Amino acid sequence: MKISRKILIPLSSILVVGLVVTVINITGGKGPKEVVLVTHDSFVMSKELIADFDKTSGYTLNLIKAGDTGSLTNRLILTKGVPIADAVFGIDNTFADLATSNDLIDGSLTAIDFGDVCFNYDKFWFANQKIAPPTSVKQLIEPTYQGLTVISNPNTSSPGLSFLAASIEIFGESDWQSYWKSLKNNGVKVSSGWSDAYFVDFSGSSGKGAYPIVLSYASSPAAEVRDDGQSQTASIMDGCFRQTEYAGVLKNAKNPLGAAAVVKYLLSSKFQSSLPEAMYMYPIVKDTPLPEKWEKFATLATRTYGDTLNIEINRKSWLTQWTAIFN
Amino acid sequence: MNNRSNLVALWTGSLLFIGVLFYWPLGKIVAMGLHGDWLLAISTPRVLSVLWFTIWQAVLSALLTLALGIPGAYLLYNKKFPGQRFVRALITVPFILPTIVVAIGFTSLRQLPLLSNLLYGHSVVPAIICAHIFMNYSIIVHIVGGAWTTLDPSTESAAALDGAGRFRTLWSITLPQLKSAVISATALVFLYCTTSFGIILVLGGGIVNSIETEIFIAATQYLDLPKTSGLALIQTALTIIVFIVAQRVVRNSAMLEEVQAATSRSRVDRRDWPAVLLTGFLLLFLIILPIATVFVQAFTHGNIFSLVNFANLSGNGARDLLSITVGQAAQNTVRNMVISSALTLIIGLTVLFLLTRRTRKRNIYIFQRVTDILFQLPLGVSSVVLGFGYLISFSGGPLPLRASWLVTPLVQSLLAIPLLIRFIHPALQAIDSELRDAAETDAATTSQIWWLIEVPIIRGVIATAAAYTAIISIGEFGAASFLAYGDQGTLPTVLYQLIARPGGENYGMAMAASAILIAIAFLLVYLVTLSYSPRRPSKSPAYWGSGSTPA
Repeated sequence: MKISRKILIPLSSILVVGLVVTVINITGGKGPKEVVLVTHDSFVMSKELIADFDKTSGYTLNLIKAGDTGSLTNRLILTKGVPIADAVFGIDNTFADLATSNDLIDGSLTAIDFGDVCFNYDKFWFANQKIAPPTSVKQLIEPTYQGLTVISNPNTSSPGLSFLAASIEIFGESDWQSYWKSLKNNGVKVSSGWSDAYFVDFSGSSGKGAYPIVLSYASSPAAEVRDDGQSQTASIMDGCFRQTEYAGVLKNAKNPLGAAAVVKYLLSSKFQSSLPEAMYMYPIVKDTPLPEKWEKFATLATRTYGDTLNIEINRKSWLTQWTAIFN
Repeated sequence: MNNRSNLVALWTGSLLFIGVLFYWPLGKIVAMGLHGDWLLAISTPRVLSVLWFTIWQAVLSALLTLALGIPGAYLLYNKKFPGQRFVRALITVPFILPTIVVAIGFTSLRQLPLLSNLLYGHSVVPAIICAHIFMNYSIIVHIVGGAWTTLDPSTESAAALDGAGRFRTLWSITLPQLKSAVISATALVFLYCTTSFGIILVLGGGIVNSIETEIFIAATQYLDLPKTSGLALIQTALTIIVFIVAQRVVRNSAMLEEVQAATSRSRVDRRDWPAVLLTGFLLLFLIILPIATVFVQAFTHGNIFSLVNFANLSGNGARDLLSITVGQAAQNTVRNMVISSALTLIIGLTVLFLLTRRTRKRNIYIFQRVTDILFQLPLGVSSVVLGFGYLISFSGGPLPLRASWLVTPLVQSLLAIPLLIRFIHPALQAIDSELRDAAETDAATTSQIWWLIEVPIIRGVIATAAAYTAIISIGEFGAASFLAYGDQGTLPTVLYQLIARPGGENYGMAMAASAILIAIAFLLVYLVTLSYSPRRPSKSPAYWGSGSTPA
């Protein structure tokens, strides 16, 4: 039998295919100690906390960011046969039903934090221009506030979707579209995500953008406290949406025990007390100490809108209608 | 094991490869697309307007590139001027850049007050069209310019003697002779623009969408699989139609005819001013300016010169956006490139070996034809479509490939293999059959002929094809955006994350990484141009006829 070089070709190609199959079975074979947490892009967990988790749990935590809340949830559904992670954080109440109805989670979703999606404005800017800042989302369509507002796209951002839901409860099925048309005509800017809107376009943040009104959280002003102890920004408390974010163990996770340990850690007092500074969210665990400035600058809304609507059923038609307005 | 069973093993291996890794996911898309109310899902006003936008922006991009490219082809191939080789290298850089870097380059122009108003003021469409011109300008210049050098200059001189002006000569003498080059180059640009993904995703900002970005959004934002599959089918049909039309045109032309390039090219003179003005303007505003702006912003931090952006590349970006650093993503990209190029060469050459075996048996001949077509069809499938197909086919079931890092290099090699075959096949067929006959008479085996005669003759072509395969792998974004997560991110996916979340240091990091990639691309192109003899400028390695997109 003569082994020609030619035979090496099919052999090596078959070897490669064989290799593929074996590698799949070994991938994640970085040992049972590795646990992967997938989150949305705005998730922040300090290196100290990651190290603390690794030390106390005995696992090694790896973080993956998979886009905004919507694409995070959808990607997890598309890959649920062989999930890209063991645990997930960041599915919120606008997407929770979608996750459960697709049988994404092993067990149930665990609430980790909450916050009120509200508009913020740049107090300095309004003082300089000698214009009274708006006190309700209904005013944003007035000529006084023309070209001043930046929001995030509800198609690609959960605060964006939250505000869309809030507007539907505030203005009702019949009028919400005309409100949005007026917003568009009043020069509202649409950014793709919350962090772009807040850190690039908003004038009251480190980005020093051109827009003095931004869709953000009721707690954000606590992050903009300047040397004189005053916050540069304030929230418009009328027209907020109560957002709750969840974590859970993914079905078919390679390391379900590690995933459960991650979820448990997200409820620990160390992680919970990091939430206000890291993500501007309120800890879900009662009596978690809040930063001092939160008492003053991060008040919750007394009434919120939209969170009781059936978002799961309506999301697609709302977004289609919204997109038709903005195209 | 004898010769015959060797051959059987080769056939089986190749067909198994393309069958499992291409036709299975494609079949899955077709089945899913035709299963639901696909006609309903894709006949909405939104989808129709997306389809319409895809076509008209591609037509406009292609025609504008053509109009701007013809004077460039004239100056760069028909005339002489100092710095010509530098300019030729410069215009080739955008073509080999990853599309995401092109998108970042045009994003950087948003910071320039006047230009940002022109490009982005009323709508983002001007920016998209300009980015397409930036990327494809060199295709027109090189293909049309290459053909131009083969024209007999005496007709033009005669016309000039008879008092015809330059425009008149161009319009009625030169252009008709260049018709086939013009049409095939324009069709190629049109094809690239219909499958443009990264540029429209970034510059369109979710508001302006083509079929490609709509596929991505329908899958990842709406989880609307019937609609995604329906769109994927439309996109595939569109690409295949354009491809076949372009094929027809090129086949009827005399493109392959080797004509000796005109030996003497005259210097640029005063009568060339319209071409010089137009080309200079284009070079300055559409090629140099975006590149320069990227470099300026890469070296700027807080309005002063700084290397901070480059230093930040070793970190994970503002608010730890990236799961891996840009350096680690570069490592992944290099690894993917090596694996996918090796795989492309192995499979591509095996198939070529099988396709070029001479046979008298009719059934083997038919088998060869079928295999040929089976390996050509992937040309009509964009990387976004293939990435989506992999996502729905290999995320579970018997072959959960999605979970392995190998999925990205695999899908990239699937995109490159048909191009490799298309590129090398004509060269193999052109080998004088007397060479083979003589070797056979001397009792050489088929494999000896292949390895000792055929492969060495087409060595240069293989090297060029391998280089192009590597470029496809480095810049590939559509499939990777569906498949490469977390620690498997590639340079394009990581750059996309940075430019899509530009807060804090992320924007500067995107600029710094893009500046490095542009510098590398320029260096490579310049080295390649140096190695080509200036006497034979008509061989432009990067373009192998109508192919699918590297995006």
